[in-house]
Amino acid sequence: MSQRKIIGAVEIGTSKIVVLVGEVYGRNSMNIIGVSQTESMGVSKGDITNLKMASDCVHEAIQSAEKRAKVSIDSVFISCGGHHLDGFPTTGRISVSSPDNVIGKEDLLRVAEIAKGKSLGVGRVYLHHILGGYSVDGEYSNTPLGMFGKELEVKYWNVSGEESKISNSLHIINGFGIKVDDMIISSIASGGIVASEEERKRGVLILDIGAGTTDYSIYKNGVILKTGSIAIGGDHITNDLSLGLHISFNNAESLKQRVGKAIIDPMDRNDSVFLFGNLQIGDAPVSKNAIYKIINARIEELMRILQNQIGAVLSEEVLPAGVVLTGGTSRLRYICESVRTHLKLGARLGQNPSWVTDSELREPEYSTVIGLLQYALSSRRPSKSSKSKKNAGWMRKVTHLFTTN
Amino acid sequence: MEQEPTDLTCVDASIRLKVIGVGGAGCNAVRRLSSDALESISTAVVNTDLKSLNACPVQEQVMIGQKTTRGLSAGGESEIGRMAAEEDRDSLIELVDKQDVVFLIAGLGGGTGSGAMPVLAELANRKGAMVFCFVTMPFKHEGNRRELQAQNSLTQIRKHSNAVITLPNDFLVQHMNEQDTLLKALAAGDTWMAKGVISIWSMLFETGIINADFASLKKVFSQKRGRALFGHGFGEGANAMDAAMRSLDKCPMLHLPDLNTSQKADALLVHIAGGLDLTMTQVNRMMDALRSKFGCRDQIILNAVTKEELQQSVSITVIGTTDLGSKPQRLKRTPAALLSEISQEPVHRESKRGKRNSKGQNQSEFNFPNPDENRGIFEETEQNLYEGEDLDVPAFVRRGISIHIQ
Repeated sequence: MSQRKIIGAVEIGTSKIVVLVGEVYGRNSMNIIGVSQTESMGVSKGDITNLKMASDCVHEAIQSAEKRAKVSIDSVFISCGGHHLDGFPTTGRISVSSPDNVIGKEDLLRVAEIAKGKSLGVGRVYLHHILGGYSVDGEYSNTPLGMFGKELEVKYWNVSGEESKISNSLHIINGFGIKVDDMIISSIASGGIVASEEERKRGVLILDIGAGTTDYSIYKNGVILKTGSIAIGGDHITNDLSLGLHISFNNAESLKQRVGKAIIDPMDRNDSVFLFGNLQIGDAPVSKNAIYKIINARIEELMRILQNQIGAVLSEEVLPAGVVLTGGTSRLRYICESVRTHLKLGARLGQNPSWVTDSELREPEYSTVIGLLQYALSSRRPSKSSKSKKNAGWMRKVTHLFTTN
Repeated sequence: MEQEPTDLTCVDASIRLKVIGVGGAGCNAVRRLSSDALESISTAVVNTDLKSLNACPVQEQVMIGQKTTRGLSAGGESEIGRMAAEEDRDSLIELVDKQDVVFLIAGLGGGTGSGAMPVLAELANRKGAMVFCFVTMPFKHEGNRRELQAQNSLTQIRKHSNAVITLPNDFLVQHMNEQDTLLKALAAGDTWMAKGVISIWSMLFETGIINADFASLKKVFSQKRGRALFGHGFGEGANAMDAAMRSLDKCPMLHLPDLNTSQKADALLVHIAGGLDLTMTQVNRMMDALRSKFGCRDQIILNAVTKEELQQSVSITVIGTTDLGSKPQRLKRTPAALLSEISQEPVHRESKRGKRNSKGQNQSEFNFPNPDENRGIFEETEQNLYEGEDLDVPAFVRRGISIHIQ
């Protein structure tokens, strides 16, 4: 019997809080032994707006996950999303120090320090420095250690966030007597599992459209090229419907799930649908076209902002593998078609890996938390197992900034 | 919208109230109203078209302009309509004489309505009646000429009325399906008119826990040529009051294009009808909310009635007048007033038929007065700025996409 190891993952999302408890077997397998989910309160657009309420929800979720798994969790991995996250590239360049021009460990450390050294504005902290690759005398190299060269250059994609917002999540977890092993931005967590290794090599955009925010990451040559977050999510669609059709938010949400489509379907031009669909008082028919127009306006805008933010990289040459969609809003009907039309790239729905057997957890809105768990697994079992090896490439590049006190 | 006939028998005899339809559209509206809600309120019609008068079941009829038109209608010329009214001034005076409140109903843009309505309004006003006008404005596709005729007439009418409520036809039918009958579309306008008439009737004649009377009505509408605002909300269930307030917020009549800028009222008349369980606390809470919503500090007149059959439901009607927000260069300010409805049975009955007058039916295209106020669940959160736009405001609003419900 191998020793029992428990890992945990917590996602504090805009619409829901999910806690997963995994049990690690041997070197490379894991069972999800506890799942719990609570409706999220006190979180809006990815940010915690009411610490007390959010905290209560998280605690409730952790407690019930522990109960179901019949274990207690000591430490967890948590995800982080929201508009406060900012990503930017940096480059470090040094002359190789040793007289024989062989690149040593010292050089690597030195160049990394330069690249990561950019100081941030007040109140902002780094979450990740993601290694984007080295070049030696202008030649791209994955493993420069021991190579000959005069000049060593390194590229990083850096992610920073607002300290106050990040510490909110940390406080919530710590307040329950649980340590935070690491915090990972949600687009990286979900990106790691919904796109295949092959796709990440060829170039892919992972679009995680959640309830409060849309987070994306772009992989090229197996490494992260860019990440970002747009403060638009499924809640915005629902809110638009609620305001446009003058119905309550909850009714708008159920309407969206019932009949929402991301495209304007000419077939339905003259069709209408009942607002609530349950014959309750006040139910009235509404034109489907109105619903689609409202949703489509929002999706179109999201795609436009995405194009503005990502820029020229968003092309078929750079991203031949196209777009992989995940997050709750990717369940909106015809969203792939809509993304294809607007971004002129292929698009498919992401799927959670096959080792996730629970059918509910295979839904796209759980990608982030499963990605977290997988990250937790691979960081616990460094390098040796086949699973972690597969992911070590990108995993290791995420530096651990937060370890709790 | 039946008030029980028995109620009416104890109507204060000293207050006389009359609904008068002018022109073809007005006659039709009155006919439809009287067949529906207003059986017990005295109604009359005025027209230049003998044929249509003959076909109209309303008892009191005034044929005008027999010399001018030979009873063959004004042919869409408002000037002829006006002349016809002038010609039969005496019979019109008789019609409005000794009335305390006169409701005038017409479709503007044509001949008789546009031409005769201002004359009638002036006469009624001179005879000391309070004049409330409900007018429908022509469809855009009827052309500029009719639009102009309607606007000119509206200007005249406003001079002599305590309140003019305009119902743009475009607005009324926007939400209709193509297959809906014209009759149904026009009936939507009538429904609003009925709500207005009934709310005022109810204020005057129904006894409630808090009473507004004719004097207070007069006070609110004493100033002419302000802008009018009119809204209705209905809610039921455990939180009927909250629901009614929300429904009032969404009332399409508060979102008419020309009211865009003025959701503020100088004087506000509030009529609330609820079940016997209506509490003073609820009423106070509502009044606080209304006061801040309409920015009304000085004058709020409250009328509250309770009825057994309204258990667990609340209807709120606001009628306000204001000078705020009306731009000087506008043709005229609307006197102010809006009406609303009170709706006791009306709403119930309509709901059963599956159409909701106060909420669903007329909401079609909304013009949002101020994007900042339309952030829904994001109301309390920081602005979500991207290139100068607040992303929390619906995309379709910022991009001016019009949404046609239904």
